[in-house]
Amino acid sequence: MFSNATKRTTTQKIIYIILPILSLLLIVMAYAFVQRKLPMLLPDAAGLWNRFTKTFTNPIKNVNLIGHILASLRRVMIALAFAWSLGILFGVLIGWNRVFKALFGSIFELFRPIPPIAWIPIIIMWFGIGEFPKILIVFIGSFIPVVINTEDGIRLVEKEYIDVGRVFGANRTQLLMEFVVPTALPAIFAGIRTSVSSAWTVVLAAEMLGADHGVGALVTRGWNAGDMALVFVSIICIGIIGAILAYVLNKLEKVVSPWNN
Amino acid sequence: MEQLNGLVVENLSKTFYSSEGYFTAVEDVSFTLNDGEFLVILGPGRSGKTVLLNMIVGIEEKTGGRILYNGKEKTGIHPDFGMVFQSLSLMPFKTVMENVELPLKLRGVSKKERRKTAQHYIELVGLNGFEKSYPHELSGGMKQRVGIARAYTANPKVLIMDEPFGQLDAQTRYAMQNEILRIWEAERRTVIFVTNNIEEACYLGDRIILLSDCPAKVKAVYPIDLPRPRNMVAQEFLRIRTTISDNTDLAI
Amino acid sequence: MSLNEKDLKKGLAEFKENKRKETLKYVFLSFIGIAIFLIVWKLIVDFKLLNVRNLPAPDSVLSTLITKVSSKNPDGNTLGANILASLQVSMSGFLLAVVIGIPLGLFMGWFTPIDKFVSPVFELLRPVPPIAWIPVVVVFVGIDLKAKATIIFLSVFVPCVINSYAGIKLTKRTLINVAKTFGAGNFETFIKVGIPSAMPMVFTGVRNALGGAWSTLVAAEMLAAKAGLGYMLQVGRNVGRADVVVAGMATIGVLGALMALILNLIEKRILKWKLDS
Repeated sequence: MFSNATKRTTTQKIIYIILPILSLLLIVMAYAFVQRKLPMLLPDAAGLWNRFTKTFTNPIKNVNLIGHILASLRRVMIALAFAWSLGILFGVLIGWNRVFKALFGSIFELFRPIPPIAWIPIIIMWFGIGEFPKILIVFIGSFIPVVINTEDGIRLVEKEYIDVGRVFGANRTQLLMEFVVPTALPAIFAGIRTSVSSAWTVVLAAEMLGADHGVGALVTRGWNAGDMALVFVSIICIGIIGAILAYVLNKLEKVVSPWNN
Repeated sequence: MEQLNGLVVENLSKTFYSSEGYFTAVEDVSFTLNDGEFLVILGPGRSGKTVLLNMIVGIEEKTGGRILYNGKEKTGIHPDFGMVFQSLSLMPFKTVMENVELPLKLRGVSKKERRKTAQHYIELVGLNGFEKSYPHELSGGMKQRVGIARAYTANPKVLIMDEPFGQLDAQTRYAMQNEILRIWEAERRTVIFVTNNIEEACYLGDRIILLSDCPAKVKAVYPIDLPRPRNMVAQEFLRIRTTISDNTDLAI
Repeated sequence: MSLNEKDLKKGLAEFKENKRKETLKYVFLSFIGIAIFLIVWKLIVDFKLLNVRNLPAPDSVLSTLITKVSSKNPDGNTLGANILASLQVSMSGFLLAVVIGIPLGLFMGWFTPIDKFVSPVFELLRPVPPIAWIPVVVVFVGIDLKAKATIIFLSVFVPCVINSYAGIKLTKRTLINVAKTFGAGNFETFIKVGIPSAMPMVFTGVRNALGGAWSTLVAAEMLAAKAGLGYMLQVGRNVGRADVVVAGMATIGVLGALMALILNLIEKRILKWKLDS
């Protein structure tokens, strides 16, 4: 009986190792099959690799692949720095003060349902296609989730934490800074996490719609030139950076709020 | 005749209103707290005990009656009152030391001074060595010790404890009951201790105020004259316990 | 000094009156906030307070919105036609992804072999924002409804699967054990215990996906389309009609908010039914 059970788990383990490999193999095979049929539309492995190295030997707009990635990341970082500081501040204010919430939260609610990408045309009309308009668009896309999550976090702080503060004589500022904001940190962090993935999407859209540098610009360039290998190299970079950003945030969250499991 | 010293609670009531109607949690509760006394308020499950305490400490508005402290009407928070909460109340992002020193920090006491006081109470509750730990790293009993140390650091004249041991397992609970008596005897502060456990009430209290089930009204008052440490299986102890138990509408 | 019913009734009436006044006060303040916003906007435009060209005033946006109901300028479609085109695309992609994505996520979360087989594909798809796929989809499928629906599908599919998966993984072990003790098989437990307890998370996924879908749709229509609200924005920009662009943004915002509202109502209904049964 006992050996039987162990045997079953061993077979199970082997199957569980084989299945993902099988699945990845099938993807590769399907890709290869379609690629054979439509070599113009899909690059093969060698084509991808060559296109990848070519981005360094033959830079696009004087900038190699790393340079384009850094251009995108720079826009994201600047926009996030503003979105986090202003977004947390605004979220705390509307979460904490009902008059403030009624006065300014209502204006925020007007803008909230407009997808950040829909801002791109008007911002290009206003400010052209330089750095500032792109950063502004990314800022809009990341500001909104930070505000929403911060406000929720502040508003939903358990009453007992506030009671503790009041019993020990905290004034309103102390209540906010010593009790409410720290307790809302996990929610604020959820907003920060959403803001990062949103920023990454929005920067791509902004770059795809008009930019010289940045991974999004590479996608559009490859697309317009019928250079699908470049499109795929860019998409792979985008995916890898997206994954790295998610990973870094997970690690960061554990450092920032170790009590939150 | 109004008493000039200590705490007098007169006809205290609390009714909650909502759009669906109203609900009275505390009705017409009166008692006097003697200086240095260990007063136990005993009531069934959700009988409005916490509401009563919150009104006394000043974080809940009363809808009727008044509270006199040192001859003056007490409204809102008063620095002479400290509280140990039921649960959940330690700041998860602060270490044991930071939690315990918090009341002094709020009063603007210098870091060196508040650390010294906090250290004293951390040692008093037997948590030396855990100053740098976070609450989630501690057991339930240890967390309550932190809560008690924090309340003492605030240097209250009246310490209010709201079912502090409700979440603990029986073993830890017995240990903590002895702990709390030891600390009380060392520090000699007036204590209001709330519980739903008759045995705990008889073991700890100088006097027990028995509340009825919702709304909370004073049903009976029992002075307990037994010497400490009390023996939970002694004849006299069991007799008092049975008397109270027969008079309780405990639904637990 | 005991409490009597008359006093309590009076207290209740007082409470209700105060509450009504309070609500009224905040509603009033909200209107003030929005009014201030509109007035400041109008003043900025009229007195050219910002050094920005192409800033339409709120009233000109409103009049454009009204004329656009019947006018085909400048993008060749009336507002209604654009709305219809956008809704058609987003809804077909959205519904397809929800119908396929949720069951897949639920199955993955419950049956480990399926999980092991499917999740590698997901881990590959997940970090790539759906708009990055637009060129690939356009090259393969074109720029018709099917193409854009495919992109929307991608953007909705991933959050639906991930949340359904996470939701069913959170099913309480004790609930499963209770079901099995009463003799339910694995599949029956999945249907009767797993799925209902996953529902709240599933809805979170659908709600996130809806926002993502609407946003992706706008991007897709700006990059490749001949109709739709995103296309209207793009044409408005190209011909320098800022009033059309802002009117388009307002429409997108209102429709987005409406869809979120409808989803909330559906969620309340379904989750309530779950509670009742």
